[in-house]
This record gives sequence, C-alpha cells and structure tokens, in this order.
Amino acid sequence: MTDRTAITDGLRESTQALAFEYDSARSSAPFIDEFVQLVRYRDLVILLAGNILKNRYKRSLLGILWMLLNPLLQTIVLAIAFGTLFNSALPHYPIYLLSGLLAWSFMTQTVQYAMGIMATGSSLLKRIYIPRATYVVAVVSNGLVNLLISIMPLAMIVLVLQHPVSTSWLFLPVSIFILALFTLGLSLLLATAAVFFNDSIDIYQIVIQAGFFLTPIMYPPSVLPETAQSWLVLNPFFAFIDLFRAPIYTGTIPDIHVIATASTLALATLLVGWGVFTHKADQLAYRL
Amino acid sequence: MRMPMIEIDNVTVRFRIPHERIPTLQEYAIRWLKGRGVQYIDFNALTNLSFSVKQGETLGIIGSNGAGKSTLLKVIARVIRPTEGRLRLRGRVAPLLELGAGFDYEMTGRENIFLNGAVLGFSRKAMAQRLDSIVEFSGIGDFLDAPVRTYSSGMVARLGFAVATDARPEVLIADEVLAVGDTDFQRKSAARIREFRENGSTILVVSHNPASIKALCDRALWLEHGSIRLIGSASTVVDQYAPDPPSS
Repeated sequence: MTDRTAITDGLRESTQALAFEYDSARSSAPFIDEFVQLVRYRDLVILLAGNILKNRYKRSLLGILWMLLNPLLQTIVLAIAFGTLFNSALPHYPIYLLSGLLAWSFMTQTVQYAMGIMATGSSLLKRIYIPRATYVVAVVSNGLVNLLISIMPLAMIVLVLQHPVSTSWLFLPVSIFILALFTLGLSLLLATAAVFFNDSIDIYQIVIQAGFFLTPIMYPPSVLPETAQSWLVLNPFFAFIDLFRAPIYTGTIPDIHVIATASTLALATLLVGWGVFTHKADQLAYRL
Repeated sequence: MRMPMIEIDNVTVRFRIPHERIPTLQEYAIRWLKGRGVQYIDFNALTNLSFSVKQGETLGIIGSNGAGKSTLLKVIARVIRPTEGRLRLRGRVAPLLELGAGFDYEMTGRENIFLNGAVLGFSRKAMAQRLDSIVEFSGIGDFLDAPVRTYSSGMVARLGFAVATDARPEVLIADEVLAVGDTDFQRKSAARIREFRENGSTILVVSHNPASIKALCDRALWLEHGSIRLIGSASTVVDQYAPDPPSS
C-alpha cells in the first residue's frame, strides 16, 4: 500500500466518522497515519491545550495575570543583578535579556512538560485509542500560546525604555514558526525517551541548566573568549534565540546564515522526532 | 444481512519483558558498555486467537485473572496493535471507560462532556448538538457547570456512560462498568443497552460473574492462558465454565 492511498483512506475516514473500517494489517505507514489521525482528532488537541492553560492558573488569585507578571518580575530581578555588568555592551539590557529568555523558556519548558506528561500523565493512552502524539502536540500548542502572550510584557518594556521598533518585528511570525517546529521535534524525541527511561527528565534538566549558562541569553556572545565563541556554532539553541531576538533587539532581520541553520535544524529535528515517535508509538501502550 | 463487525484472525499479542528491569538510561548505558545486552523473556498474553463477532451479537468474555481478557479488549479498542495476526473492525468502537478515566476533575461537567466526546473522536460541533440529550440522560442537572471534583462517583459514572452511549456506537465495549450508579440509573443504562441490541449494535461484555453473562449475552468466549478454551452459546459456555486457579 502506498502512502498516497493511505492518505486518501484517512481522509475518507475523517469525512464519515461513523462508518470507517479498521484493519490492523493495513496501517503500514505510521509516519503518515499518525498525522491523518491527529487531523481527525484536532478538536481534542485544541481542548487539551486549552485545559493545560486553564488548569495552571485556575486556582490562583491573579489567574492569567501571572503569565504577564512572571516574565516581568524575572526580567527585573536579572536586570538588577546583571544590568550594570552588561549595560555598556548591551544598551536597553532588559530587552536583550527578556527576548532571549522568552525563546529559551518556550523551547526548554515545553520539552520538559512534554516529557513529563508522556511519562506520567497519560493513562488515557492505555485505555482508549487516541492519536499517540495528541498530548505532545497539545503541550507544544500551549507553549506557543504562552509565548505569544508573553510578548505583551516584552512590548511593554520596549515602550517604557523607548527602544526603537522597526518593521523587522514583522519577521517574528517566521521566527516563532521555526522555533515551534524545532520544539515539537525535540519534544517528540525526548518524550519517547522519557517513556522508556525514568531518568531522562533528570538528565535533561541537568543538560538544560548547563545550557542556560553556556548560551548567550543573559550575556552578549562577545564576553566569551574567542575560542569559546567559535564553539558557539555547535550550540543549536543559540541560532534559535538569535532568530527570535534579532528582530526585536537589533531591529534587523536575522542573518541569512542564522535563518538557514535554524530552519535546517528545525526541519531535521522534526523529521527525526516524528519518525522515532511514530515508530515507537505502538510500544507506548505497553510501557506507560 | 448480519455481517461480521469484529474479525480476529490468528491474533497473538506478545509482551517483551526485560529479564531484570532496567528503568534508567544510566543502567542501560553501563550494561551496554560492559557488552552485556539486555535479556528479555517473551510472554504471550494472547496466542493465535481467531473468532468473529457478527452485527447485533452480544458476546460475553469470561476467564480467570490473567487469562487475557483486558488485553483482548485493548486490541479491539485499538490501544494495542497485535504482534501477529490481523484485526478488522467495521464501524465505530466505543469503550465504556473505567470510572473517571478521560475526565479532568478540575473542569466543569460541560467542559468534560466536550473533552470526553473529543476523546471518543467526536468533533466539537457534534458534541454541541448532543449536549442536551447527554445532560438529560445523565441527570446531573444543576451540576453541569460545577467542577467534576464536586461530583459523587455515581454522577461521574452516569456522565461517562451518557457521553459514550449518546451516539449509538456500532460496537460497544463494557468492562464490568454496568454495575455502577444507583439502581434507577442501572435500570436506565440496562434499558439503553437493550435498545442498542435491538437496533443492531454489537456489544462485548467482560465479567467475572457467569450469571450476568448468561443473562446478557447470546454467545460467550472462555479465555484461558491467552487462548480460547471454549466459544459457543452463552448458556453452554457458562455451564461448562470452571475457572482455573490464577497461574502464578
């Protein structure tokens, strides 16, 4: 059976939800089948993404306001601590800091959440058929909404500091799209690992903690020794942070090399992550 | 025309159990470096199972603990893909979930109706049309907009049953959940299942209680150690049924 017929079969299923036939011998291409099923269950993905958001702030006093306050407070604390250190190299340091921080948190926190939810919070996958990637895609969608909301406090700081705003902001949707592809790929890959090995999350946290200091988020790359600067190309996160930060902080479209590196990396990660996840998906029900 | 709704053809489900459990990446890496692979033992939860269930039939599945009943239901609910063999389904399969599975207890009843419907594969639009009849059948009334954590377990069970059965599924899987709720609701749910049978739904019932299998089902399947010990009319199978002591 070719992929093309698998797609048309899937689409036929989706248009007449009550009359589909299932044949365990037929679904030979999980790589594509999983995608078709996700499209069918899109309302579930949207609901779960919304529920994550609602649950997180449901029983807190300030509710959704926390989403705006959190990045502001974080920026103020770090700007007081390090502002004087980098103020000459980085004018309007809080903007440099927060734009880097937002991109970094979106990528790393989303991946960690996806790992956790696959390792512990998905007993539903053992009880009923839903597309196996449902939770991971919902978590990434939720992270994306969080990122979009936290652009508001960033814009507030930009206004307060009277930082110049240029048309380069229009490039941001492209940056965010590439970041999201990478995050989805990494989430799928590491969520699979989290299901098979309990200590994946612990290892991940250590790597991320080190990564936070090894990546120019709160300092400019120029403070690094020259040898370390040349190693920076090997840090995949740096390209993604630059992609998001350049349009905001320097008011320029990111360097073409940065765009090319980030896009290639994002696509490759997504393909590998999707491939590994869908390949192992049938084993998830045994393992969870 | 009674066509087969479920066809199980030589299905084997094999679990691969590590000889010693290796839960961490660290240990796995150490073993790999030492050149010792991981040793597995294979365990067949189901072995070469073949049977089919026709439209409108009610099939009871009995067997002692560990006979493979839950694994078989998971295969039919598409949670587990058979290691070998083939499963074919005609029509939509709706499993009645265990109490509370698929619910988010922090969310309201209304939100959970949409969530549960989405888990069963229904669109938001379809659920909006069904909302009224689900609320009416479940009898949750004023609690519709209260968080589910404030519900009694009977109310949760009623709501779950109402969502799963509001649209008549072609195949309904009931795993000992029919005994929940108060007697009034039991009567109502039994009546609804009877109505499904009369309208041609196929129903699978798993129970430890042979008497209820005899009362509910046309046919029965006796599973033993992952194989079919006996399949036939419900009364024949139940009369011969003598559960094994669970294997160690």
